Amino acid sequence: MAWIAPGDDRQTLMNQLAGIGDRFEGLYAAFWQLPQLPAQTLELCRLRLAQLHRSERDWALEEVPVPRAQRDELRQWPDSTHFDAPQRACLALTEVHAMDAAAITDAQAEAVKQYFGDEGLVALLQALGVFDGMIRLGLLWGLAERSGESH
Amino acid sequence: MAGTARVRAPDSSTGNVIRDSALGIVPQTLAHYLPLNAAIWDDGPLNAAEIEMARLRNAQGVGCVMCKAVRYDIAIEAGLDEHKVQMIGDQFEQSALTHREKLIIAFTDQYLNNPGVPPPALRQQLQAEFTPQELLHLSLVVAYFNGFSRCAVALGGMPDEMPRTEISVPR
Repeated sequence: MAWIAPGDDRQTLMNQLAGIGDRFEGLYAAFWQLPQLPAQTLELCRLRLAQLHRSERDWALEEVPVPRAQRDELRQWPDSTHFDAPQRACLALTEVHAMDAAAITDAQAEAVKQYFGDEGLVALLQALGVFDGMIRLGLLWGLAERSGESH
Repeated sequence: MAGTARVRAPDSSTGNVIRDSALGIVPQTLAHYLPLNAAIWDDGPLNAAEIEMARLRNAQGVGCVMCKAVRYDIAIEAGLDEHKVQMIGDQFEQSALTHREKLIIAFTDQYLNNPGVPPPALRQQLQAEFTPQELLHLSLVVAYFNGFSRCAVALGGMPDEMPRTEISVPR
């Protein structure tokens, strides 16, 4: 049970704030349908954020299926052969964004644009903000447990 | 701060600061951002001055020059003057802000710095001061503006300084 309001899942809590909670969920859902970025790449970025926040709930969640090998090796993606160049560009930017958005370099932004254009970079940055927000909310509300050990 | 913008803004000049920004080049999400942004201000139980306090505290935490410089006119109309804005800093606990206002900043800091269930003392104060709907609203206010400001910073082109700029909620 969350401490903040009655309910033990995100949907139940969001539903208690009509007009805002449903619109926030609508924005989140929109990212999985974007033509600018593959949903699977976005899912890898979301999962990487879940790892960095050590959120068990968000790590366990599957918004879009990704190959088992990618899940298994996501923490070691720089050394893994299971991630292609566009995914690597997005994961690199994700990791910096998670720490400090101002620390993203021109080269990291250009790497994403090389594969997905201006629109893809904007969409990725929007998605990261919302994914990070959903993970933080789950942790803040007490819906998600922090893992002792990172995945 | 990045010296130059990393993406081109749309050619449009509608007067809507969201639509005319780089966010405007992704119409699929713009269609969600615009009504969500309006709902954040209009549809929740917190008043505009309270929303603005959380937004400005987040802007400080993210280091978004533009977000820090902006003042929403409806927040000013709701009573948030510059004297009070000056108290939204790291010494807020010792300021003349009300207990409720201090809790808004403390909650925002919890989200920014240590996302997790707040310590018992803070949790009890929040539950005593705010309704569940108010706390949910505050949560989504901070989450929304945090994502927005981090996106703005990451897109580059942010000036080192910007004068205080009063705007209306884009609709």
